Amino acid sequence: MKILGMVIGICGIVLAGIALFRAFANKSLKQFPLFFSYIGYVFFGSILLYAVYWFDSQAYRSTYWLYFLISILVEFTVLVEISDHIFKNLPALRHLGRAITIVISGVLALLYILPVIIWSTRRPPALLGFALRASVTKVIVLAVLFLVARHYRLELGKNVAGLMLGFSIYLGVNVANLAASVTYGFALYNKMLWFMSPIAFTLCLFVWTIALWNLAPAPNGSIVSSVGGRNSKDTALELARFNNELSKFLEK
Amino acid sequence: MITFIYAGLAITFLVLVLCLMRKAQPRDTDEAVEEKAYAPHIGNGRWLDLSERIFDPSDARWLGEELAFPKLEQALMQDRQRLAIRWLEALQASFDELVRTPEIAPSNDPEADSADGWQMLWLTMRFKVLVSYALLVVKVFGPYHRLVPSFAWVPLSQRRRQTIRQAALAGSRGSD
Repeated sequence: MKILGMVIGICGIVLAGIALFRAFANKSLKQFPLFFSYIGYVFFGSILLYAVYWFDSQAYRSTYWLYFLISILVEFTVLVEISDHIFKNLPALRHLGRAITIVISGVLALLYILPVIIWSTRRPPALLGFALRASVTKVIVLAVLFLVARHYRLELGKNVAGLMLGFSIYLGVNVANLAASVTYGFALYNKMLWFMSPIAFTLCLFVWTIALWNLAPAPNGSIVSSVGGRNSKDTALELARFNNELSKFLEK
Repeated sequence: MITFIYAGLAITFLVLVLCLMRKAQPRDTDEAVEEKAYAPHIGNGRWLDLSERIFDPSDARWLGEELAFPKLEQALMQDRQRLAIRWLEALQASFDELVRTPEIAPSNDPEADSADGWQMLWLTMRFKVLVSYALLVVKVFGPYHRLVPSFAWVPLSQRRRQTIRQAALAGSRGSD
């Protein structure tokens, strides 16, 4: 079991390292700054965890949980990155992805995630409950982003589609895994289920590495709209005109 | 039980993702042509003419009250309701087409771009909410109920007011 854990962990570090190296090589770091900060966090955080494990094994448990909790929060940056890129070419909807991410995450944090932290009496169920509900929140945000992108018939492009696919695999497995852990207890998680999430995350890193191997910007122009393209200011004026005329119509 | 719900959620999500990952299908050509035929042209400033005729209750009242043809009045109202729904859907489609228009030359000022982006998102959401509400009212109560609020009470920022005024001015110039 120990060996399996180490192999999965080392695979994760290697993949994160490759993804970072490729980002430097093909200059995609600037294009996906939040995502690669997250990958950097995973890469250096995992190395630090191994270092703590080898040099001060007593501190490992608390360091691991700290890293785990921060990871749950830092994973939201991947969502923000994805949401920024989906609507990047459409001036009228450029901030829609971020708005969806912020609103859904904020509302669910208040109504769904916070109660489990406040009302849990013991620490392990609170931690697992928090992780589960945060993952469900991310799943909901991602699903809504997918649906809105589909509603506007947007072409995602290889990079963003890969980011979404990888993250979906990881989150889907994570939700099922954590739900089983919350229901059947922390002991079962420690014994049997602990490796499911790391395996899913390694698979996710593999998908991300392939998806971001080369920069492939999302298609725009004639593919998205039959009109072709428009200046951002012209779009703003046209939107204002639509709203103005609609207000007149409604006031009648 | 809760495990099965979450596991079901996870599986549904993964299936949904795989379905949505498929390439977006291009719109049915007939549907697009039909929508375009109904779509209002805001630029020429006369797009309200058709709506005025559709949403004007005077001829239906004249049929019912002055000529005493209640059945004809009902038939006309139902016909007008269908037309009103069609008109609002075409308006929505026309707006969606505008919203789906990509930018040709990205701006060099990210700060101004960001502020304009939020403002445009607000205008987009406002329009979508109002049209959806108007559609709901027309579908439930018919075309002659004045139940759609103007939302004029929502405090708009000075800059946004200015933009709307400029657009209105440009619109009136364009229609002349």
